[in-house]
Amino acid sequence: MEGPCKENVEPLVSVLMPTYNRRRFLPVALASAIDQDYSNLEIIVIRDGGEDISDIVNLFRDERIVFINRQENRGKPFTLNEGLRRARGKYICYLDDDDVFYPHHVSTLVNALETQVDYQAAYSDLYRVYCRIEQDGSRKVLSKVVDVSRDFDRFVMLYFNHTLHVSLMHRRNLLEKTGFYNENINILIDWDLMRRMVFFTDFYHVHEITGEFYTPVGDCDRVSVQKRKDKNAYLKNAMTIRTTRPAKPWTKLEDVSIILAADCLNEQVGKTLGSIWASTFYPYKVYLPLQQADLDRLDTGMPGMAGVAVDGQSSVSQRIDAALRQCDGDIVAVVPAGFEIDEFWLEDSLYALINSSVEHEGFELEASTAEHWAVVVKKEDILSARRRFAELSLRDSLVTAGVGIRRVRSEDIPFQFDELLCQAKATGQCGDWAKAGEMFEYIAENYQNKFYIYPKAAEAFYEAGMYEKAGEISNRANAERPTVETLLTEARVKREKKEFNSAVKLLEKAEQVLEGTNCYGYYTRQYC
Amino acid sequence: MDITQDNIVEQENTTQHYEVLIELGDCYTSVGDYKQAQQCYEKATSLSPDAAEPYVGLGVLALQENRLEDSEIAFRVACRLDAKCSKGYGGLAMVAQQKADYDRAFEMYLKCLELDTDNLIALLGLFQVSCQTGSFSKVIHYLELYLDMHPGDSAVKFSLAALYLRDGRFVESKKALVDILTLEPSNKEAGNLLEEVEHNLAQTRQAGVQIG
Repeated sequence: MEGPCKENVEPLVSVLMPTYNRRRFLPVALASAIDQDYSNLEIIVIRDGGEDISDIVNLFRDERIVFINRQENRGKPFTLNEGLRRARGKYICYLDDDDVFYPHHVSTLVNALETQVDYQAAYSDLYRVYCRIEQDGSRKVLSKVVDVSRDFDRFVMLYFNHTLHVSLMHRRNLLEKTGFYNENINILIDWDLMRRMVFFTDFYHVHEITGEFYTPVGDCDRVSVQKRKDKNAYLKNAMTIRTTRPAKPWTKLEDVSIILAADCLNEQVGKTLGSIWASTFYPYKVYLPLQQADLDRLDTGMPGMAGVAVDGQSSVSQRIDAALRQCDGDIVAVVPAGFEIDEFWLEDSLYALINSSVEHEGFELEASTAEHWAVVVKKEDILSARRRFAELSLRDSLVTAGVGIRRVRSEDIPFQFDELLCQAKATGQCGDWAKAGEMFEYIAENYQNKFYIYPKAAEAFYEAGMYEKAGEISNRANAERPTVETLLTEARVKREKKEFNSAVKLLEKAEQVLEGTNCYGYYTRQYC
Repeated sequence: MDITQDNIVEQENTTQHYEVLIELGDCYTSVGDYKQAQQCYEKATSLSPDAAEPYVGLGVLALQENRLEDSEIAFRVACRLDAKCSKGYGGLAMVAQQKADYDRAFEMYLKCLELDTDNLIALLGLFQVSCQTGSFSKVIHYLELYLDMHPGDSAVKFSLAALYLRDGRFVESKKALVDILTLEPSNKEAGNLLEEVEHNLAQTRQAGVQIG
């Protein structure tokens, strides 16, 4: 637990429960929301059409339930927004109709947000429950794995979501900055909202397992899974999310203006624009300094683009200067048309710049050449350089103004944790478990996320036959936060040492979690 | 990287609960809590109906409790589910041995060792059954295979030396016993057997001289 609530009066928490055709599992989910050890709740159940569920809701006879009984199916974002409009709580959290909160879920996250006042949002860890749907419709639990336990990482959140909707709690007034759910997208809707949140706040990570979300194996009927099968629709949604820019001011994110320097509007410019759109995940706005006639021909359908009218006779430097006068980003990237753009083309250098402690420093982009030179710098540096040395080329003006220009080094780039993790996993898959174990251990010691990495390190050492090491790491993990994975590994080590009674104790604990005797089993017996 | 969940989440894990139950069943068996062990194995069969392992566990339990028919059925199911289930064949061999059906036990131990030459229990079972039936040549082969992987196992090496002696292969017998005594100079059994081998060798040499 993260410490007790400071206030005597518990703030109101709104639990939003959208539901559609899940009569079978809704009672368990609803019961888990009601049986919280935190009482000041309003549980907003929103029926998004489908089967009638009035009988289930009425069964609970709990005055904290607010039931929106809509017969028409309008989709999840619409349904969540309907709930948000009704919500009165200081804090908002979410529960899907087939998932489960443990009894301390709400209190844990309220405590976190009440004590960590600089944070607008917090999240905990959950068990992903792989299950098989039996013929009678019941779920048989095959495994419980904490598979997304990542400390908050803004770059990852901009690239792809590392938190779970069901594990999130945020202050209601954060929505005044982010807006509500986007009703024009139908998958990844939670990432869309959380991504907008990272413009305004860090997320506080509570390293406790406070619930379960269910993943049926094989072909499942989940709406979100079915919709993801359409790759084009999926990518369209993802691109929409990536190009969404909430209203400023952004308190936690520096805006990037990309100046695309070109002589005229031609196919090369079109291709470069398309590549920027497809490959850039960091929020940006493109400024395109062109003659008015070219701007008139420009397809304005691309999000985050601004045309800058310039004289047809103007030089490249003059065009850049014209665009600079209109840029409202804190950081500016200048890129020539035809520049080679692929994944992370901008973000590697951008990440280095954002995290650089050196004043007046800029970074050449990875694919930069003498002919196609591209750079990312602080806006104040480039403005100053251009004001003082407008007659020079962009590069010369920056250098002459004292802006140090360099290339990124491997230690500067983002996603190092993910890169190392991939390498360690691959090493294990190739059979070198001892090496993989060492790599996992190194990652845990140097890149946080120890609860995420310890189970992998312990398992790798076990596979390598290094039982002492496997036992030591899994024991350490179990002392701090036991999970089924680490309990199983430690038990296996005990078994190897013929310490059968100790192994039994650990395995019984694991079996208890798998059987959900602390929570899920109880609800099933009570209501299903 | 690509915009996909696969970068963030782990691979599907569908065997964890089953693995916990098998481990728990095996540990309960080791501490003699057969009732609990049986529950674990039965539960494991419902989680993974095509797996042979829980039936091996149930077979072992039945064997421990001398329920030979139940044990045989469980091991048969295991072998049917997995034709390469060496433990299943080993179990069938033990059941047959208990029933004094030494020919079948011999056959099942051999099948078990074909699939897993490292199975010491099957190896010793085969040795015991061979003593009953007097057919040693195949046992020697599997003992040799086992010792290739476990050259320091003096108990198995001693058995092999004894079989060599019985087979009239005195030189090989002597070498095996010398190996044991090099590592364990105080091994009395090996010392005594070596004396017997030396005696046989001397007699053979003498017979050779006389014939020559």
